[in-house]
Amino acid sequence: MDCPICKSAMIVLELEQVEVDHCTACGGIWLDAGELELLFNDARQAKQLVSSFHHAPGVKEKVRSCPICLKKMQKIHAGGFDPFGKLRAGKLTAGSEDEPVIIDRCPKGHGLWFDRGELPQVLAKGSFDKERKVIKLLSQIFGGGSEVKNGG
Amino acid sequence: MWEQIRANKRNSILLLMLMAAVLGLLGWIIGMSVSPDPQAGIFGVVVALVIWFVLALVSFSSGDAIFLAASKAMPVTKDVHPQLFNVVEEMAIAAQLPVPKVYIINDPAPNAFATGRSPQSASLAVTAGLLGKLNRDELQGVVGHEMSHILHRDILFVTVAGVMLGAITLISQVFLRSMFYSSMGSGRRYSSRGRNAGGAQAILLLIAIICAILAPIMATLLYFALSRRREYLADAGSARLTRYPEGLANALEKISQNTVPLAVANKVTAPMYIVNPLQQEGMKLSDLTSTHPPISERIKILRGMSGASFADYSDAFNKTTSRTTPIPSSALKDETVQIRSSVQQSPASAKNQHRNIGDIMQRTSGYRFVDCSCGLKLKIPPNYKTDKVQCPRCGQVLPIS
Repeated sequence: MDCPICKSAMIVLELEQVEVDHCTACGGIWLDAGELELLFNDARQAKQLVSSFHHAPGVKEKVRSCPICLKKMQKIHAGGFDPFGKLRAGKLTAGSEDEPVIIDRCPKGHGLWFDRGELPQVLAKGSFDKERKVIKLLSQIFGGGSEVKNGG
Repeated sequence: MWEQIRANKRNSILLLMLMAAVLGLLGWIIGMSVSPDPQAGIFGVVVALVIWFVLALVSFSSGDAIFLAASKAMPVTKDVHPQLFNVVEEMAIAAQLPVPKVYIINDPAPNAFATGRSPQSASLAVTAGLLGKLNRDELQGVVGHEMSHILHRDILFVTVAGVMLGAITLISQVFLRSMFYSSMGSGRRYSSRGRNAGGAQAILLLIAIICAILAPIMATLLYFALSRRREYLADAGSARLTRYPEGLANALEKISQNTVPLAVANKVTAPMYIVNPLQQEGMKLSDLTSTHPPISERIKILRGMSGASFADYSDAFNKTTSRTTPIPSSALKDETVQIRSSVQQSPASAKNQHRNIGDIMQRTSGYRFVDCSCGLKLKIPPNYKTDKVQCPRCGQVLPIS
């Protein structure tokens, strides 16, 4: 599978029988829908997670294509808590704590894409998924969590 | 076996003839619409029949190869997935057929199809997602369903019909597009031959355009209508071959829960699969355009069977639906078949099974595996450029061997 940003081949990382695609050139991460299914042990939960995020209209970030179907991906709010629609009302300034992270989602439901800087932001919010399974997996693979041990 | 096979052979020939007639008519009308000269119409017919002949030849000689290539199916050997081969051989013996060639499609969506000209040259393809999700009984149910398609000669019919449908769509599209573009340029190119013919010419052109729009739709409807009955019949055949209808019922249930669409399927190849690969959840297709009966109904019929014979399927069908049975009467006189008990399996982790299939598919497509000492497994694609990789977990630089 090729990275949607720099088009170079992505390597596959496997931890506890779940795979994550990773671009070593630009640091992006692809979470495949099938792998989310494995992580949750349930197809419905995985689908619920992917479709639970809200579409973020008018985001200026560059449009990326799904590495599987090459369709343009949607920008979505992830890991942020925005109960009163403050962001949409324009009352929230960039860089403030409540600011949601914007990630990409394949419109056909093939998976989720995180740019390099987006992963630590999502991990810091800690509210990506209810059971924190995704957060745990990503922090174990890419660091940023206290569980990471330096192997030797 | 029985009349269904004969009917399928007859249908295949009938379809070829029907397509020839449709193509000839289309050729004549297009020819006449271009020029009022009767010779133009005959020329159109000749061109259309030549195209039909070439296509018939292609669909007979290599239709299966076209479909397998279009679905990106890879031929596999026994050591890649022994259980699949085991099940296929078992079902081939039960159906008294030669063992078909086995293909795996590297796609996470669970599905399967069979293709080929005759049982002697049949191919059976399953997706990696199917192998990753089903247990042995369920896999046997799916393979039994496909083996029934081979046994009933459905495979030739669907292959020929698919290639022909593709051809009619193609010719109509070419004609409609050329009309569109020529009308933008010198629109009155052919009208200089005679003023009197102008009116008739315009009508003929209109008829040609309508025909070109309608022909693919009609062909598609015919194709779809003929494929649905076959699905019921193949389900009944699977129940009889496996003597365990619950296996296929469970498999259909698992397949229907799938949320990822099959990437390699399209409108022409859709009727070939065990479950319609294009149907999205929550999308209700009308009866006319759906290639497959609703899965819930198929499961209900299978679970309502008291034995495993065709007659039992027919009874269950009548109980579940109010329609007439799809089973031909000659098959109903079949002997009684007892349902066998399920095979006890060690509950191997579903995750494990899924990962094993994934690893097999990656290995066959040239991935190299690197195990980091921190416990992370790195899988390097064949087109990865450098020969070293840094483990993102612990930071070690690992050589790719």
